[in-house]
Amino acid sequence: MKFRIRWRIVLPYVILLCAQAIIFASVLPPILRHAYQEALVNEQSPNLTTFYLVTIILVILAIVTVLLLSLYVSTQTLGPLEKLTRAAKQMGAGQFDEIDIPKPSGEIIEIKELSEALRQTVEQISAQINALTNERSKLAAVLSQMTDGVLIADSGGHVQLLNKAAERLFKTEESQALGRSVVEVMRHHAIVDLWTETREGEPKTITLEMGSDHKFLQVFGIPLSADLPGSTMLLLQDLTQIHRLETIRRDFISNVSHELRTPLASLKALTETLLDGALEDPPAARRFIVRMDTEVDNLTLLVNELLELSRIESGRTTFEFQRILPCKLLSAPCDRMALQADRVGLNLRLNCPQDLPPVFADPDRISQVVINLLHNSIKFTPAGGQIEVSAWLEGSQVVFSVKDTGVGIAEKDLTRIFERFYKADRARFGGGTGLGLSIAKHMVEAHGGKIWTESEEGSGSTFFFTIPVA
Amino acid sequence: MPRFTLDREIHLIQDEVLLLGSLVEQALLNAVDALRRRDAEFAHQIERADEAINEKRFAIENHVLILIATQQPMAHDLRLMAAILEVITELERMGDYAKGIAKIAAGLANDEILVPIREIGFMADIAVSMLHRALGAFIAEDVTLAYSIAEEDQQVDELYNTVYYKVVQNMIANPSTIDNTNHILWVLHNIERTADRVTNICERTVFIATGDMLELDTSDDEKDV
Repeated sequence: MKFRIRWRIVLPYVILLCAQAIIFASVLPPILRHAYQEALVNEQSPNLTTFYLVTIILVILAIVTVLLLSLYVSTQTLGPLEKLTRAAKQMGAGQFDEIDIPKPSGEIIEIKELSEALRQTVEQISAQINALTNERSKLAAVLSQMTDGVLIADSGGHVQLLNKAAERLFKTEESQALGRSVVEVMRHHAIVDLWTETREGEPKTITLEMGSDHKFLQVFGIPLSADLPGSTMLLLQDLTQIHRLETIRRDFISNVSHELRTPLASLKALTETLLDGALEDPPAARRFIVRMDTEVDNLTLLVNELLELSRIESGRTTFEFQRILPCKLLSAPCDRMALQADRVGLNLRLNCPQDLPPVFADPDRISQVVINLLHNSIKFTPAGGQIEVSAWLEGSQVVFSVKDTGVGIAEKDLTRIFERFYKADRARFGGGTGLGLSIAKHMVEAHGGKIWTESEEGSGSTFFFTIPVA
Repeated sequence: MPRFTLDREIHLIQDEVLLLGSLVEQALLNAVDALRRRDAEFAHQIERADEAINEKRFAIENHVLILIATQQPMAHDLRLMAAILEVITELERMGDYAKGIAKIAAGLANDEILVPIREIGFMADIAVSMLHRALGAFIAEDVTLAYSIAEEDQQVDELYNTVYYKVVQNMIANPSTIDNTNHILWVLHNIERTADRVTNICERTVFIATGDMLELDTSDDEKDV
């Protein structure tokens, strides 16, 4: 360690000492000389009291001035140093807002430099902390809002992070899950296996169905060796909805094929029979061709309804809404079906108060809906039964109902009958596409209404639908 | 630090129990799925997978016995080990039930017989949900949750009775299908027994926490039928 003399601090003391020396040297000798001279004149021992007095005074003065000078120097250096130390401690405690670095006065350059350096450090660290906090807030926002689940676990299999979506998937909370094992949190052997394999180093993906909710998940295992050594991330995509739609689509195609196959098979059988020789027998041939005609009609009906359904579902149907009285909506379809009902021995009654307010509807479409409902009632009500069509006002909706005394619908089928192709009782259903109610539902909903049914097996069913008042 | 090691060992065993539970849940849901889709190949897979369940059960038993021998746990920890031995046995039985359902699914694969698959699906979902939460309660030693899950067994029993009745009626109406319809009754029985065994797990949860071995299953199955 080199010893250097800090002249800026030492100089004042040197000057003071010199001054004191000069004062001592200039004041004391004359007093001494004077005392001795007097003693010579008076032939006595010298009276040194004055000398001693002045010496003591001078010494006290000297001490005091040194003390004063020390005090001055300390405050110049130690004061600022104390403030800087306090500021440094505050930095350590993270209290960046309260730091106050005093502008150093005084001549001591080292303290000035220290002050300046500390001030810069505080600014830099503050800026860094702000940037990091911003970054963290952004990430936290993304993690909590994203729909995919994110789970991060360390090499020991303890959960380090669990975002909101993952909390929902595993039915837990991050605060509960932190530090717990992946097995305890995820409770699924296949996902745990995925984690184990990914931990070894390679990313991997699996799809699986999880739990009694039958959630369909795609899980990505991603090693985080670069960013978080030893940790692994699991990204969980909930594909349940997509999977469901896929299943519906697949079932629909399979259903359509099935429905088409039956009339086509009949047609094939009939043409084969004709070609095999029935053509030579005109009356028989005619019978066959009539049957073929019926099958073609059935096929055409099916295809038309399918097209209709597809148009409605993709929103391509045009509706021509108009203000129309509910009873006018009902009269045409009821008239049309009255004959059919009569033919099978059923009593069809229309119960519609004339004072109902007009509704906003497309009469042709609603007519279709009513015809469909009546058609079903006729099909499922044995001879001697009743069918009643009514309408009434409920709040801002007009409620329409078609009530029959037919065979009714089983409870388990009640919500499903509006599905495409769903036929509650296949044996009885016979002909018909199974699409009628599905189309009816779309029509009613396009009007802003609802359609539903109440039924009791053995007593009959009532179909209700609503249309808002105009 | 023996306490630290003991805790770590216990946690490892608990994790193993949870994994075994997950295998069993999967087996049950898969078996019902195989029945739903009449997929014989899948059903055979499930039957083969039962081996893994059995192996795991024995591995855990081993682990527990070693821990008891070497660490000599006392009081709560000892009860926990005893309970785990019991629980893994229940789980292994449930695995066997799932295997049974899969066997039946394989057998019915080419049959046209009507299966009340929706009701069976509901029952299985409830039973698996019960199992999932019961195991969670077991690990967390949540007595309140254990009690409430045990009560859900009633739902399964009610469903069982309803579907049983319907299936028997079907049998009477179509005597030619008796053999296969009988198998459906076994499927129902297996699921109902699964839910009962979950109740046993709940009883063990109460046991660990309180030291009392209570009977939480209030229904008397034989009597109700």
